[in-house]
Amino acid sequence: MTRFLLHRLAGSAIVLLGLSVITFALARVVPSNPAAVYIGPKARPEDIERVARELGLDQPLPIQYLTYMRDMLTGDWGISIGTKRPVLDEIIVRLPATLELIFAAMVLAIPAGILLGVLSARWQHRPPDLAVRLISIVGVSLPAFWLGLLLQVLFFRTLHLLPLTGRVDPDLRFTAPIADLTGFHMLDTLVTGNWVAMQDVALHLVLPALTLAAYPIGLIARMTRASMLEALGQDYVRAARAAGIADRLIIYRLALKNALIPVTTVVGLTLAYSLTGTFFVEVVYSWPGLGTFAVKGLLNLDYPVVMGITLFGATGYVVINLAVDLAQSWLDPRTRLVA
Amino acid sequence: MSAPLLAVSDLAVRFVTRDGNTTGLDGVSLEVGQGEIVGLVGETGCGKTLTGLSILGLLPRSAQVARGSIRLEGRELLGLLDGELRRIRGSSVGMVFQNPASAFNPVFRLGTQMRMALAAHERLPKAEAEARIRETLAEVGLPEADRVLRAYPHQLSGGMLQRAMIAEALLCRPRLLIADEPTTALDVTIEAQILRLIRRLQETRGFSVLFITHDLGVVRAVSDRVVVLYAGRVAESATTATLFEEPEHPYTRGLIAAVPHAAARRKEALASIPGTVPADVGSVEGCAFAPRCPIAVDRCHLEQALVRDVGSGHLAACHLAGRGAIL
Amino acid sequence: MTVEVLRPAAITPRAGLVRRFRRSVLSDPLALTGLIVIGLLVVLAVLGPWIAPYPDQGEGQSNVPARMLAPSLEHPFGTDGLGRDMLSRVIFGARPALAVSLLVVGLAILIGVPLGALAGYRRGRLDAVIMRITDLFLAFPPLLLAMAIVAALGPGLEHAALALAISWWPWYARLARGTALSLRERAFVEAARSMGVGDLAILRRHVVPNSLAPILVQATIDIGTVILAAGSLAFLGLGASPPAPDWGLMVADGRTFILDQWWLSAFPGLAIFVAVLAFNLVGDLLLDLLDPRGTR
Repeated sequence: MTRFLLHRLAGSAIVLLGLSVITFALARVVPSNPAAVYIGPKARPEDIERVARELGLDQPLPIQYLTYMRDMLTGDWGISIGTKRPVLDEIIVRLPATLELIFAAMVLAIPAGILLGVLSARWQHRPPDLAVRLISIVGVSLPAFWLGLLLQVLFFRTLHLLPLTGRVDPDLRFTAPIADLTGFHMLDTLVTGNWVAMQDVALHLVLPALTLAAYPIGLIARMTRASMLEALGQDYVRAARAAGIADRLIIYRLALKNALIPVTTVVGLTLAYSLTGTFFVEVVYSWPGLGTFAVKGLLNLDYPVVMGITLFGATGYVVINLAVDLAQSWLDPRTRLVA
Repeated sequence: MSAPLLAVSDLAVRFVTRDGNTTGLDGVSLEVGQGEIVGLVGETGCGKTLTGLSILGLLPRSAQVARGSIRLEGRELLGLLDGELRRIRGSSVGMVFQNPASAFNPVFRLGTQMRMALAAHERLPKAEAEARIRETLAEVGLPEADRVLRAYPHQLSGGMLQRAMIAEALLCRPRLLIADEPTTALDVTIEAQILRLIRRLQETRGFSVLFITHDLGVVRAVSDRVVVLYAGRVAESATTATLFEEPEHPYTRGLIAAVPHAAARRKEALASIPGTVPADVGSVEGCAFAPRCPIAVDRCHLEQALVRDVGSGHLAACHLAGRGAIL
Repeated sequence: MTVEVLRPAAITPRAGLVRRFRRSVLSDPLALTGLIVIGLLVVLAVLGPWIAPYPDQGEGQSNVPARMLAPSLEHPFGTDGLGRDMLSRVIFGARPALAVSLLVVGLAILIGVPLGALAGYRRGRLDAVIMRITDLFLAFPPLLLAMAIVAALGPGLEHAALALAISWWPWYARLARGTALSLRERAFVEAARSMGVGDLAILRRHVVPNSLAPILVQATIDIGTVILAAGSLAFLGLGASPPAPDWGLMVADGRTFILDQWWLSAFPGLAIFVAVLAFNLVGDLLLDLLDPRGTR
């Protein structure tokens, strides 16, 4: 098992290396004037020259790449043109908000998607199946930013049930301040017994999480359905029926575990989707996370920020894929032997 | 003569597809007595697997029973609700399949699967359940129960998996074991072992066996009686000795002649039956085998031959059977 | 000397496929609806200027006295902040949406399929190199690479289209490689090889035509996905700029007024949704046709 893990880690490291080359190219090679782009449009010519020297732009490309890698690995991801603070710091500060959102969306999407898929397979060709297939295809076709806006109109404007934007009611800063332990509001309020704030945080989480979960639910439900149908057609299901094992056990235990194997890949895909999907959801709900930061950086041509986010997002994807591989090998004993 | 354990009468199964219906079984009747091993033999597509699946109500969705009756110890099985059938599957009737590697769930250990099979019928305390499983494993020649129970299917050989499958089928002490081509996917030496095992188990425990196979040699080695199926209909039925020494149906004779002898010399021509099996026997007027039959007469093409007794329980579906003279 | 001995016409029974397609479409109301919607989109894209009730406003001309009107008989989709008829604006948006996505998918196929087919057919070092490159591109989360490229090049519709094409070609390379891998073992390809037909000719005449089916299916679904991606980029401000009738841009413009003048964002977004849905439905149908096991 450890050999398998090491092998996958090595593979991921190679991919990360390749990614660094691409981001390096985007950061230093593609723009016509990398230094100007690095410090922003308002810089003076002398500053541009200074930065050009600091970045080593006069050096041959391989040396530039090594300098770039050295900077990345030591945490020097540049200074944000907009906030004038180190990019890596800015990313880390905003990360919990985004992670909490993605986590909430996944907690919604994964069980719901799997359940819908199993029901759909169980009642193939009957109303539940058709309903789930419709929900799935609508889910993967909905523009997240549009869905977000519609939900805001419905739940805030029309029904007055949920808040419009943000992560928490600003007044709570005075009445029931949230301790800054982990940056995850749900966790922090839970641990400190701050029920008032916790309820508020939860209410603020509902719509954004729902919006972000739409596409994953659709995708997961579809994949679960397809792989359940495949599993249910296998010999071992017929053998289990011949042994007199109850249908419910066959579906929810014997077939499902097999069916979940390809589903883990899809869950990985939906996590990857969330990495950029969160940009749109955060923008619509003014969620103070990485997404809004990234979009602001993109629009203001805050180059260091854009590069930092790109590298961060790509690294995150590599980590997700690694986790998916591990989950699959846990589910499917046949893959554990493969080095 | 005690009542038969299993009595299949006039069983007809059809396939329903978008492009029309085809006949899978066209009025098959057979009996399995208490404690006997009946071999059900025929080439691929003759309906022998369908017969086995029909008994337990495991037909695929595209197939349905058109008519007939299946009685297990006098009790009619066709028409039972799935819940009632489930109580019979695995407890009164056990089934073993062709490909042991695919009949076990690849992501669960064998132990888990066998415990589930036992728990489906008998609520035993954990210790007793374990004991029963280990006993049965020992009986089928797998004394290293620990290793087998902890293993995943891909970690065991075909022979071991087949023994385990037989063990699982026998856990609840069924009175009938349906074995659907249990040795087809195995090497010849392992095949011999499994056949011996089945015979031994049958002798010790006394259950009946419906042994489905396409291999005449296997049928001869293991069965007390043989039923020959052709294109969804019964061609002949007799005790093993009688069938092989005095086959009455031309198809049976052709089958026996077509078996290549292991010791035959190279120059001997391989006998074969010319022609192919009809695609949909339901649309055939006369005898299904007539187009390929070396002794067919006009009557054979026009009128289906029904199964008749041609002498002390020897049944054959041929107009010309029992007359002795070969035309 | 070229000997045209092998004609793979019989390999893909096209007649049978068309008949099955027609039968499946007619029996599946959803897919049929999707097909109709796509047809409608094409009509709007081609004939938009003649169908729209207020063509000048569709293009961008303002009519300020009529600003922010709720949906009515005169303006079924209402009017926007500059008084332009939303229905006309949405209709006018069909052409750029369809054009951009066709361009992107077309480019992705043009770049990806030859590379992938070559990699899968030739194997060896070339295959490994091309596969590593596609792996790298595919290692980015969807849209992230496109956003980074647009940031590097500057906002604008052409840059967004280029960025999307660059993000999409690896999928087609992978797809083409897969089919090339399975095709190279087929008898008619081996026969051509043994007759001395050159690699490029084999690729052109045998491998690529027989790979078309899965590529076409993927392309159908992708046209919808790219409409969504382009609209998403535009929503963020990385695509087209005003006064272009871009659906994503319209949704973004309407966002400030979403609570009271919901129609500003609702209808353009609806257009994107319906378009993507239609392509997904038809793409699903095509997938069913290709899937031999019928696990759907």
